[in-house]
Amino acid sequence: MTDHRRTLTLTAVLAGLIVVSTVAAPMVSARPAHEIPVSEVSTADLAEPNADGWEEVPASDVPLSSAPSSVPNADDTSVETVDVQAARTDERLYVRLEWHDATRDMNANATREFADAAAVQFPTNTSSRPPIAMGGPDNQVNVWYWSGSTGTQELLAGGAGSTTPFQNPTVQANASHSGTGGNATWTVVYSRQLDAPSENRTDLRTDGDLDVAFAVWNGSNGERSGQKAVSEWHYYPFSGGPQGPPYETLLWTVAGIAIVAVVGVTSFGIYRTRGAE
Amino acid sequence: MSTDQQDEQGDEDTLVNVADGVDHQVAMVMDLNKCIGCQTCTIACKSLWTEDGGSEYMYWNNVETKPGEGYPRGWEDSGGGWESSEHSDRSPGEIPDEEDYGRAWEFNHSEIMYEGSDEPLRPREGAEWGPNWDEDQGAGEYPNSYYFYLPRICNHCTHPSCVEACPRSALYKRQEDGIVLVDQERCRGYRYCVEGCPYKKVYYNTVSKKSEKCIFCYPRIEGEGPDGETFAPACAEECPPQLRLVGFLDDEEGPIHKLVNEYEVALPLHPEFRTQPNVYYIPPFAPGQHTEDGETVDIDRIPRQYLRDLFGDGVDQALDTIERERQRARQGEDSELMELLQDKNPAKQYRLEVFEDD
Repeated sequence: MTDHRRTLTLTAVLAGLIVVSTVAAPMVSARPAHEIPVSEVSTADLAEPNADGWEEVPASDVPLSSAPSSVPNADDTSVETVDVQAARTDERLYVRLEWHDATRDMNANATREFADAAAVQFPTNTSSRPPIAMGGPDNQVNVWYWSGSTGTQELLAGGAGSTTPFQNPTVQANASHSGTGGNATWTVVYSRQLDAPSENRTDLRTDGDLDVAFAVWNGSNGERSGQKAVSEWHYYPFSGGPQGPPYETLLWTVAGIAIVAVVGVTSFGIYRTRGAE
Repeated sequence: MSTDQQDEQGDEDTLVNVADGVDHQVAMVMDLNKCIGCQTCTIACKSLWTEDGGSEYMYWNNVETKPGEGYPRGWEDSGGGWESSEHSDRSPGEIPDEEDYGRAWEFNHSEIMYEGSDEPLRPREGAEWGPNWDEDQGAGEYPNSYYFYLPRICNHCTHPSCVEACPRSALYKRQEDGIVLVDQERCRGYRYCVEGCPYKKVYYNTVSKKSEKCIFCYPRIEGEGPDGETFAPACAEECPPQLRLVGFLDDEEGPIHKLVNEYEVALPLHPEFRTQPNVYYIPPFAPGQHTEDGETVDIDRIPRQYLRDLFGDGVDQALDTIERERQRARQGEDSELMELLQDKNPAKQYRLEVFEDD
């Protein structure tokens, strides 16, 4: 009988631990898929890629894949993931991208030379989500583009091939390449004032979630135009509460209930078996 | 040549096939039998259009020796053009590198001019290739060596694969005369046009970071000069032996139409690229081969297959036609073809105002 009681106690403790861990773990990291957190900060020591302010800002790993495109070698892209951080002050939005690239390709001064580049894309009108590939004619996108050879450009596009630079760019970008070989990385920080500086520019003071997508080009791999590594649409949760289905929490809840049920049924079975002896 | 042109339907006014959406098509015929390789056309073009920074290496018009590597080196094997005459799939191409175009050499001017050096004037280093590096080299063994000159500009093709290659539609074939242009506002320097042109006649400007090319001197043919006069492209006007005819392919009264479509003696370069060029060539004649004793024998000095490789199978008929008409002229008979090939009257050689009332 002592054995019986010990077994029951052990089972109960185990079940309790499992329940606690399944419920507690997602509380910490629960985040809907495709959400990229934005830190609200008061000071703005964020303009430089290596500014101290970025240490406090959480990063998201955003997977990249070759963009569907009709240009030659569109499938041949080399960057597979980009680390994204974002922070907002009362005045500006800062976006920091970091990715691995062994070579620092800064020039397009020779016939076969192409520069490294990166871009952040927002819907021009934040109320609806444009087609991912450079938006559409009725649903345009703003692109914050940085390249090693041309510097920063602010672009407007309404479909592939329609990309047009704004005459007076309001986006700032600073880039830095550090490390060597496989560990070498590019870091680019973009920023723009929250208020839309003019027509056809994204209003970053939006109360709703802000869709955002990313692209990276590796110049030494001949990447340019539609030959680029791109993300799906993600979003910055400016609306406050969690938006979109919180898949992770849902999954863990279901798993937790299932585990508790299994443990319960098993304990009950053991109890009955022992009781019948 | 007759194949593509006659397979496809011409527009209402003419039997001549021009590209969809194009009213008339500028064209040029170059008689290779007249080219002396003097490069006056090259310099006329360069001093007009490609003297600024970033375009040093460009020759929108070049004259190369054939057989030879050409400019840029190996351009005939650099890809581009179309997979089939459906014009739906393009062949992939390559961007030539600086060495293939030929770098601008640095010379030892300062040593000689200012430092009293006795050494001969020469490139400092790295002079291992350049445009016309293999000039006059040709092929064949003495006494049967051979070569000829091939002047080249953009072909302003009816099916330009450079236009199709641009994902931004920065290149276009303009409606009024089919001249192929690069919109400098739209171009973002991707260079798909450079690799997509099988003739390698689109160039990347390393300073402006945009592509550029032969514009068929459109300001001249539009009469934008000081006196409002219309001029043919500079390469044609400045040519000492006047080997170029300039006009419209669909001007059925003009010499170009007669040479290309009626007599079929003016042929496009590398028709197998299927872009349908609008620059045509009268193929070169050469004396027959010589024996070791110096006697002329009835064997082609320029191998016929080589000419077929350059100008297509139509070259046999073209050479036969010219030979036949030559014979007629020799015998004192009238030959319109020989008249056309010898005409020195600029009013006929350059017919650029025939469609001005359209």
